[in-house]
Amino acid sequence: MIINRLDFLQRAQIDQQTLEVWLREEWLLPSEVVSDLEFSDIDLARATLIVDLKERLGVNDEGVDVILHLIDQVHGLRRLVGGLLAAEKASPPSET
Amino acid sequence: MTDPYETLGVARTASSDDIRKAYRKLAKTLHPDLNPGNIQAEERFKNLSAANEILSDPEKRKRFDSGEIDASGTERPRQPYYKNYASKGGGAQAYENTSGFSDFAGADDIFADMFGRHGRQSRRMRGHDLNYTLAIDFLDAVNGAKKRISLPEGGSLDLTIPAGIEDHQVLRLRGKGGPGSGQGEAGDALVSITVNPHPFFIRKGDDIHLDLPVTIVEASLGARLKVPTASGAVMVTVPKGSNTGSVLRLKGKGVDHGKGRGDQLVTLRVMLPTKPDPALEEFLADWTPASDYDPRKDMLP
Repeated sequence: MIINRLDFLQRAQIDQQTLEVWLREEWLLPSEVVSDLEFSDIDLARATLIVDLKERLGVNDEGVDVILHLIDQVHGLRRLVGGLLAAEKASPPSET
Repeated sequence: MTDPYETLGVARTASSDDIRKAYRKLAKTLHPDLNPGNIQAEERFKNLSAANEILSDPEKRKRFDSGEIDASGTERPRQPYYKNYASKGGGAQAYENTSGFSDFAGADDIFADMFGRHGRQSRRMRGHDLNYTLAIDFLDAVNGAKKRISLPEGGSLDLTIPAGIEDHQVLRLRGKGGPGSGQGEAGDALVSITVNPHPFFIRKGDDIHLDLPVTIVEASLGARLKVPTASGAVMVTVPKGSNTGSVLRLKGKGVDHGKGRGDQLVTLRVMLPTKPDPALEEFLADWTPASDYDPRKDMLP
């Protein structure tokens, strides 16, 4: 789903200024289209996570940066492990 | 729906500060995005959020305590969690970071086989550049030399120091760095050169400076002296009537780095005998200098 900027601000419950900061920090990477930014569901879910971290869990901006970086690594690893397990299952047991 | 105090693990008399602390402590271990692999986390986090929704708001807490509202139906609808998208790949790849396992040998290749997009990039990944430092003697820097560095991880590197290399210059040995992955080329070895100072030669650009001590006789009467240069000693004529500070230029005896050749500049320093010399003292006592012999005349007001 494509979400425009206004819609995104409303659904993520953040204001324009906050969005600018998050974009500058590269916490969010929306697609750039000719007229404006275009957000997707994943950007919205990510924004919700950032709101959770900041407002409910009391994480400061530096902490958000660290957490997002680690989460991005965790997902990279999860995909690798998931792929490895799937490949293992699909291939016949190797001779060792 | 369980009792919100129980969910948060706090007493009914807990302060709002205690409640916030308890919520944050539990949320860390139950927030689905911070625990993407824990399938029970989502349900438990929902309960936790509902409990917090009531107890963190003094008004709602009061109404709950007096039995006006119960614990159900308070949770707010929420966007799907980030992990739901991240685990699907697709758009998440813009955020995803695969540096977390680049230290596993062969991980790049495994990953390449499974995920074409990343694979094409990582297959051609260039190896890392490796940095080394090497201290060399002044004369090796001027004249050039061949050196061998023993590497901490075993093996050695042979390198040719070009004549005229300068302090802090970095030599790049192509392909002598870390191995590339897949078909990627190896990185480079970068060797940072430190030039040790020489006891009497000083380099300034392409010229080499040398202070040469001479006797009072050699300076006054002139002499032919053996003078060291970076490329061996040469015979130099000190003209009659030379003085401390007189500079002799030895053409082409400076640094030669192919593009041009510097000179050696020899600055004379007239030295009296280190031990008192009665004969010299006697002679000077009787000596009447010419009337304009006043080395400090430029300093007079």
